[in-house]
Amino acid sequence: MKPFPKLRPTAWDGLVVLCVAALAIVLALFQWRTGPSQGLTAVVSVDGTEVDRFSPEALREGPRTYTGGGYTLEVALSIDYEHPASSALPPSGQTGLCVAASDCPTQDCVHTGTITRSGQSIVCLPARIIVRLEGGEPDVEGVDAVLG
Amino acid sequence: MKRFTAYVFLLALLLTGCGGPADPDTAQESIQVLAMDTAMLITTYGERSPAAAYACEDVIRGLEAKLSRTLADSEVSRLNAAGGEPMEIGWDAYSLLERAAAYSSSTGGAFDITVAPVVSAWGFTEDSFRVPSQAELDRLLPLVDSSQVSVTPSLDSNGDGPKAMVTLGPGQAIDLGGLAKGYAADNILEVLQEYDVPRANISLGGNVLAYGDRPDGTPWRVGIQDPARVGEQNAFAGVLALTDSFAVTSGGYQRYFEQDGKTYHHIIDPATGYPADSGLTSVTVVAGLGEGDGSGFPGTMCDAYSTALFIMGEERALAFWRDETMWGEEGCPFDLVLVTEDGRVVVTEGLADRFTLDEGSGYSLETVSRNGQ
Repeated sequence: MKPFPKLRPTAWDGLVVLCVAALAIVLALFQWRTGPSQGLTAVVSVDGTEVDRFSPEALREGPRTYTGGGYTLEVALSIDYEHPASSALPPSGQTGLCVAASDCPTQDCVHTGTITRSGQSIVCLPARIIVRLEGGEPDVEGVDAVLG
Repeated sequence: MKRFTAYVFLLALLLTGCGGPADPDTAQESIQVLAMDTAMLITTYGERSPAAAYACEDVIRGLEAKLSRTLADSEVSRLNAAGGEPMEIGWDAYSLLERAAAYSSSTGGAFDITVAPVVSAWGFTEDSFRVPSQAELDRLLPLVDSSQVSVTPSLDSNGDGPKAMVTLGPGQAIDLGGLAKGYAADNILEVLQEYDVPRANISLGGNVLAYGDRPDGTPWRVGIQDPARVGEQNAFAGVLALTDSFAVTSGGYQRYFEQDGKTYHHIIDPATGYPADSGLTSVTVVAGLGEGDGSGFPGTMCDAYSTALFIMGEERALAFWRDETMWGEEGCPFDLVLVTEDGRVVVTEGLADRFTLDEGSGYSLETVSRNGQ
């Protein structure tokens, strides 16, 4: 059996290795600087089933409607809870969204107002719809749970 | 060159491995559950966090199936429809009926599960809100009487666990909604321990179980919604720093309707048949997991007391907190955060170093001690 020729690394091999290492360092630095996720994502579920997932910024194109339990909710970008149908960003620069309108009997989802942080949600029990914000920067000064 | 190459690959492996599997202690599962007429968020940590979170959901679903007043097949619904005839119930409903009787007695009737017909008259059960006439309330109020509920434990369990025979008074109905979420929290605590969950953050509507501490080793930060700013999700009266604690808040802002310019909330005073008007806008009750007399239901207690003390008002609530002889056999040590209509937040001394007032709320902070100061 003919032996394989002895392979000796060349300067080009070293260059490739260095490129791979440099790329790994860049990616690692990027990961450390930006965290595991970037930006908020709104997740909408109806009766426990996820039906939509989008960046709140997508609501600049217009509100989105969801139906459950015979009721319809309109989810919109908001500036604050007093003007939920506004298409502007909240003053702080955070992206917020709200249920601008609902034909449910309790209107709890509308009363909830604007959500801006990861982990916050708007719930409509009659429609069994949950709009929840996920991802974004971790907020160590935020709260883990809310009573009330 | 070979050694150099090996070092470079090792470096690349280490760097790209930064996004690898999470520390088992910080791995988490978070699920949202719609049950018991509220939205719940279950976040568990640890290697078995997914199984633990779904086991918690199973507990909630199982209890809802037995204890709901709006599910036609539940034990409570069948009892309410029994027309005063004796009916057999299982251990969970029996356990809650026993505790409900104790809490009703210790709070002087401020907590009463037989207020259900009056709550229905206001439309809070079916979300068809209305203001009942005084004549209608006068007819219903005699039905609000826990002493008419007869509970007899039965040893004839047929292998399905302990049961009891229950008889309601004529025309009576019960609603365990003021206890059920707290009882679910008590049951969830057992699940977390069974699955060796190192930490968890369980939010069952206005009920929170802060189990262990946060992954960074600090206490869980639990905000108390500012009743005056219900439309703002980040508007708190203050923030509690909690580890291994149950906390429950009741407030009139949580569920209400408006008619003829007046607001009517869902916490009905059993004595008057009207929404409680005690000068408080919210009551938060906090108790430790390990406290109590061994009865093992501090979550249930917090749930019941938050409603009762909201109805009782500041003076009676603080007197109740100070005098543990009033708690009865089912009571265990607890602390309070009261938000008043006149712009104060009153914190009992056990929470003084765990409560931070939200400066933006505009409330003034008062701390009270057991000796009355």
